[in-house]
Amino acid sequence: MTRHLRLGRRAWAVLLPVITVLMFLLSGTPLASAGQVVPVSDLLVDGERFAGSEITIEGELVGDYGFRHDGHMWTQLNDDSYARDALVDGGPRAGANVGVGIRMPTALGEGLAPVGGYRLEGPLVQATGVWRYHDPDRGGESYLDVSALTTIEGGRRLEEGPDWAVFAAGSLLLAVSFVMWWRRRRSAAAA
Amino acid sequence: MLIRPEREDFRIVGFALGRIFTVVAAASCLPLVWAVLGREWHPFASFLLMIGVFAFLGQLGLRYRPANERLDWSHGMVVVALTWLVVPAIGSIPFIFSGHYGGPVDAAFDAMSGLSTTGLALVQDLDHMAPSLNFWRHLLHFLGGQGIIIAALVLFAGGGGLTLYYGEARDDRILPSVRSTARFIWAVALVHLVAGVVVLGVIAHQVLGFEWKRAFFHGLMIFFAGFDTGGFAPQSTSLGYYHSAIFEFATMVIMVAGAMSFGLHYALWRGPRRSLFKNLETRMILATVAGTMLLTMIGLGVAGIYTSVPGLTRQGFFQVMSAHTGTGFATVPSTELATWGGLAFAGIVVAMALGGMASSTAGGIKALRVGLIVKSVVAQTKQLLLPEGAVVSTQYFQSGRKRLTPELAQSAMTIALLYVALFLLGAGVALGYGYGFQEAIFESVSAGASVGLSVGVTEPAMPMLMKLTYMFQMWAGRLEFVAVFALLGFIYAWVRGK
Repeated sequence: MTRHLRLGRRAWAVLLPVITVLMFLLSGTPLASAGQVVPVSDLLVDGERFAGSEITIEGELVGDYGFRHDGHMWTQLNDDSYARDALVDGGPRAGANVGVGIRMPTALGEGLAPVGGYRLEGPLVQATGVWRYHDPDRGGESYLDVSALTTIEGGRRLEEGPDWAVFAAGSLLLAVSFVMWWRRRRSAAAA
Repeated sequence: MLIRPEREDFRIVGFALGRIFTVVAAASCLPLVWAVLGREWHPFASFLLMIGVFAFLGQLGLRYRPANERLDWSHGMVVVALTWLVVPAIGSIPFIFSGHYGGPVDAAFDAMSGLSTTGLALVQDLDHMAPSLNFWRHLLHFLGGQGIIIAALVLFAGGGGLTLYYGEARDDRILPSVRSTARFIWAVALVHLVAGVVVLGVIAHQVLGFEWKRAFFHGLMIFFAGFDTGGFAPQSTSLGYYHSAIFEFATMVIMVAGAMSFGLHYALWRGPRRSLFKNLETRMILATVAGTMLLTMIGLGVAGIYTSVPGLTRQGFFQVMSAHTGTGFATVPSTELATWGGLAFAGIVVAMALGGMASSTAGGIKALRVGLIVKSVVAQTKQLLLPEGAVVSTQYFQSGRKRLTPELAQSAMTIALLYVALFLLGAGVALGYGYGFQEAIFESVSAGASVGLSVGVTEPAMPMLMKLTYMFQMWAGRLEFVAVFALLGFIYAWVRGK
């Protein structure tokens, strides 16, 4: 036999105001800046607003891992719909990529899954660091200086097979062209 | 009275087109080989279809041999204008089947942008695109910049080469024959190709820390787009992707080499080099680069966009050089470029409109024309100040002393005015769709002068009419109008002639 915990009216009268006050306080409390996930599009539109503050961005690592001699690794983090739903995998078209450059100590970049590219979804990560906006030490570049990196999802390989109908049409046209060339050549030789 | 073109005229045009399409079909085998090596079977099938269409059209044109293969002036111009319409249309086949484009128009837009060395793009999810497709995008820059017609001239002898050569907006013959000039142009490009790819590849590996294979992939793509003043890049963040001043500098040297006239390349190779700085065109481009650079720097400084001198100098310098050479690489996102108002905006737009040197891969009004217009205005002012009946003779130095005739000045002025009209056309259409004045002008000049810098107007969601207008601007701007008018005249005569 199951026993149900039943709260009396008096208990509800005490709990409800407490829950309400707690919810209000929680909603009004600003999130710690380091934990705040900022959309990359916000950084591109109004990067100055986040200049020098510690923020977190989330997305797919794409392009290349550039391990430099100064002990840093550079790559690009894309925060667009393709980060989770690549076109090759049947994802919808949603405009151009939305990404920013990120820099991290080499140790953080080692052991990451292969970077995203053709038929390859790169690792989905959360990167926390200082947003360097128009960094005077790097000739006015803007990038995220990463101090902590968390992998949300490892990368994965995607499949893209040939389009047989297109292949057949192309082959047919090439064959016809070859026959035309051969006949032209033969008639020229005969003349 | 307008004379309706005869069947023989169509045969002459068709035969020349057949030769050119055959050359393009051969060139299109390069991305096919790339796709095989990379086991990219989906793009492979679409490249096969594209080559099939080019080869079929080529054979169709060659099937009807005209009695006289020699092209006259109008035939040549029509061939050039049609080539620059049909090649992007067929060249867009791999893009259409890639899934990276919203439709055939978007795909054709990028193919036209590639061939005309503009660099505006409607591609979606570029960062996951197949390397062979990316290679094809950049190869289009190389084919368009060096000139498809020039390639055909190198391979096929035959009459009428001169008209084809001029039709592709090249107006100085470096060597006695057009064919030897065409060979020289391709030789210059190939020497730069080897040197440029090695330099960029080594920097990408040694400094940026990329894997060797990827380093040379980036080197090759950036070389194609830089030397041919195109502006496509293998990654969505353009040159900003590399975060390297050394890589940007090397790219800038390649961009400048691409914006130099092939006549200047010839003089640099064979001498005499001293006279180079006496050339009106060299002096004019140095003056306009300095002027637009100053405008942009002051504008950026006043607006306080960059808080440090190194930041202002590096970003301002690169963007102005990219605009003036007609390349269109950017080290800042388009959203940021859109905030460059006032003098910085004026500096970049003027740099884009003026463009590089004549007979180079750059677009825009071109330095030689600007120089001739300035000289002509000065001469006319002098004429006004002198007593009636006085004659002012104006000369200029361009690979030797030459006389500035009224016809030459008028021709330079006409082309410059046509460019202004072209810029206004694109801006007008964008304004009609509710875009702001600054962004409408910026994007239109970028399209018409074959630059490719963007403030974010060019995107897959932009109205269809704007896409078509920009495509027209890229086509007409790259061919510098004459071939376009010849084609329109040919069609008109065919419809209304007797």
